[in-house]
Amino acid sequence: MKGRRDAPARIAPAARPRRGRVRPETWLAVAFIAPTILIVCGVYLYPAVATLLYSFSELEVASLRIDRFVGLEHFRGAVASEEFKAVVLRTLYFGLMVVVLTTVPAFLIALLLKERFRGRNFLRVIVLLPWALPPVVSGVLWSQMFHADFGFINGLIRTAGGEGNIIWLGDPVLALHAVIIAEVWRWIPFATLFILAGLQTIPPETYEAASVDGANAWQKFRYLTVPLMWPILLPVTIFMFVWAMKAFDTIFVLTQGGPRMGTTTLNYLVYRQSFQEFSFGQAAATAYILSLLTLLVIAVLAFLRWRARIRSGEVAS
Amino acid sequence: MKALRRLWVYPAALAVLVVIAFPLYGVVLTSIQREQDIRSRDVNFIPRYIELGHYQAVLDPGHIVPIREAMMNSFTVSVLTAVIAVALALPATYALYRLPLPGRSYILAGLVSIYLLPTILFVLPLYVRAAQFGLLDTFTGLVIPYVAFILPFMVWILGAFLKAIPVQIEEAAMIDGANRLQILVRVVLPLMKPGIGAGLLMGFILAWIEFLTPLLFTRELRILTVTLGLYRSTYEIEIGQLAAAAVLTALPLIVLTVVFQRAISQVITTGAER
Repeated sequence: MKGRRDAPARIAPAARPRRGRVRPETWLAVAFIAPTILIVCGVYLYPAVATLLYSFSELEVASLRIDRFVGLEHFRGAVASEEFKAVVLRTLYFGLMVVVLTTVPAFLIALLLKERFRGRNFLRVIVLLPWALPPVVSGVLWSQMFHADFGFINGLIRTAGGEGNIIWLGDPVLALHAVIIAEVWRWIPFATLFILAGLQTIPPETYEAASVDGANAWQKFRYLTVPLMWPILLPVTIFMFVWAMKAFDTIFVLTQGGPRMGTTTLNYLVYRQSFQEFSFGQAAATAYILSLLTLLVIAVLAFLRWRARIRSGEVAS
Repeated sequence: MKALRRLWVYPAALAVLVVIAFPLYGVVLTSIQREQDIRSRDVNFIPRYIELGHYQAVLDPGHIVPIREAMMNSFTVSVLTAVIAVALALPATYALYRLPLPGRSYILAGLVSIYLLPTILFVLPLYVRAAQFGLLDTFTGLVIPYVAFILPFMVWILGAFLKAIPVQIEEAAMIDGANRLQILVRVVLPLMKPGIGAGLLMGFILAWIEFLTPLLFTRELRILTVTLGLYRSTYEIEIGQLAAAAVLTALPLIVLTVVFQRAISQVITTGAER
């Protein structure tokens, strides 16, 4: 740093120590990041490694210490089990439904909120509210909505002249979809605002130019909005899928994974295997299978985004 | 003609309002009705009276699920979490975006990938260690995982605010002879005030809604958090009281959301512009 006052100050992160000397700025950076790195190592890295060890072991129930290594037994047992296969398929179905049922309405609501109208700010607040509720609250809320005897949904059906005797949370298939609805309701705010922020980056001139060329509303939507929004939609789908894989509170409050395991996703299965059946080794193996599945789907979605980018690049050039 | 064509927005807005707000309306409605009316098969959608007895009951000091104490516990834990998370993330963010930090891109990638993985992957050994170190049923045992689970997101939020501050301002101060610490305290911190505010807000909200950590790490009523208290309420009390407890659990966050709507919308969509 000596005698370099007149040169532009080196603030950019690209700066590298020269001639083997570590610059004081680097020490400062290390000191600044150290607490975060320590916490990340203690709370993420160490547990991730320990979970991996658990997944190859049998743990003593009382002391929770590793008793003996069993190799791939937990993984083999999982893959061979019909019940486990059903859980994996259910988890993927759950994720897919949450992604689709959140993204499509969110896109429509975002298109609406982009318009100027009286009460728009009020509607924006209402649309944001489900995001700010604790998931446990939305669980309680939807359990009251879906209650067979005095729930509001059966009440609506009765008002409309139907029987209104559907036991929503008593049937495995219905209950799964009830949980999906509760999760979708919770994530629509985020998806809507994310898509809305993306929509607002499309310059209005683009639409004006299209109008001059005689495009109608549908053509503008199909040939302008949708292609321009692809780069936004793919991250949204990734977020939604990740969160669907993490869904726990809503399932826990609404159905506890039942009836007949109908709402048990992989994430919930890990909880059940560890804190209800106390087979931490098996639970650790399930947790790793869930993580790999999540990363695999993200990789596929990221690949799709990459391919879309290449394709739009070709169109541009 | 143009005004007429835009009339579609009002029915559409009404439909969105009804679908999104209906469950919320339902729980508020339940909380102000008498138990026998709630348990009736003739569901009333419009209240004929307002009965605040359920709120009185759940806020009563001797109530079976101490919601009032739980709200105070959650408040303490959430404020602590927000402050500590921001205090840790602020220097970390500065190091990541403004200082010559070795391995910077690996650290950023690591923080993102942590966020993508399910929390349950990390929870089992944490539970084992917390039990061994006697951290179950303590505030420390709650705040440490809370802070850790929020930290990657916090770096992401503060990073967005920091990147929006032009480097040239810091360079100008440096040319004027200010050293790095002076720049940090006199230039960066004042400019980061909105970011710090947003970070505290998000930290508080995310800590308040946390459920899995208290579910696993606490058992005693003494340290009950509000979300866990609400869950306990699902099998111990009347439906009207449960609804009132749900409204109370959500109330602080509803107030924050209404007041800080713009800031929250901006923060949770960080990254949508690219």
